[in-house]
Amino acid sequence: MRRQYSIPERLGGFGVAVASAAALWPAVSTGTGLGLPCPLRWATGIPCPGCGLTTAAVDLTHGRILASLGDNPAALGLAILTAVTVPMVVLRHLGLVALPAPWPARTRRRVEVAALVAATASWCFQLHRFGFI
Amino acid sequence: MNYANWIQRVGAYLIDAAPAVILSLLGNVIAGPSVASDGMASGPGPLYFVFLLLAFAWLVYNRWILGGQGASLGKKALGLRLFKEQTGQPLGFGGAFLRDLGHIVDSVICYVGWLFPLWDQKRQTIADKIVGSVVTKG
Repeated sequence: MRRQYSIPERLGGFGVAVASAAALWPAVSTGTGLGLPCPLRWATGIPCPGCGLTTAAVDLTHGRILASLGDNPAALGLAILTAVTVPMVVLRHLGLVALPAPWPARTRRRVEVAALVAATASWCFQLHRFGFI
Repeated sequence: MNYANWIQRVGAYLIDAAPAVILSLLGNVIAGPSVASDGMASGPGPLYFVFLLLAFAWLVYNRWILGGQGASLGKKALGLRLFKEQTGQPLGFGGAFLRDLGHIVDSVICYVGWLFPLWDQKRQTIADKIVGSVVTKG
């Protein structure tokens, strides 16, 4: 059985959920002081590769693109993926695009390596942002 | 096997969490810590801890007792089932408790473990992989 959605499309769907949550987040956090703590930073003081993502997503959904890039560039990456994949899904539902074909194992491995490199780069960025390097 | 997708699992989790969040908020509003107009801070009253205890009791009943039997309230509402992949049987109280402990691992790595169902073939979180559980729809 062919999959209904490819992994990038699922991540794009996740991007839509993040954008919706980020648009509402200030209304929740301003009055209550609620936040999404980083467990690694809480326990050790060292930021993780995902630090700043909540702020970056909120900045991005409120049009503050440069501020978002300064918090965590991965949010913009997710936004671009979302902007590409969501229209693809819409086109598929309209019958204009075929079902997604699974990637060959070699491509899959390359994407996994690229994701690891991106996570490492993001960690270096956060370590620099918090003055560790 | 029709594995539950990420958004269905998030939906179930939100339904599971709602009563505990409401109880905690009620405790906070009724008897939580406060600062008087003269700037004097007062600690939480006994009722605050009663509500927190009720929230914890809900967690135990829903996540570990009902969840251990195959579906917490949220999973039941969305037609999801939680079971051990190898045996097809529910996890039991201990298994469901261990699975929630496993969610600590999901959280420690920048919460990425919670996103695993987006790309994992069996739509498992790391906690699911630790206890060998899967969540299916229908």
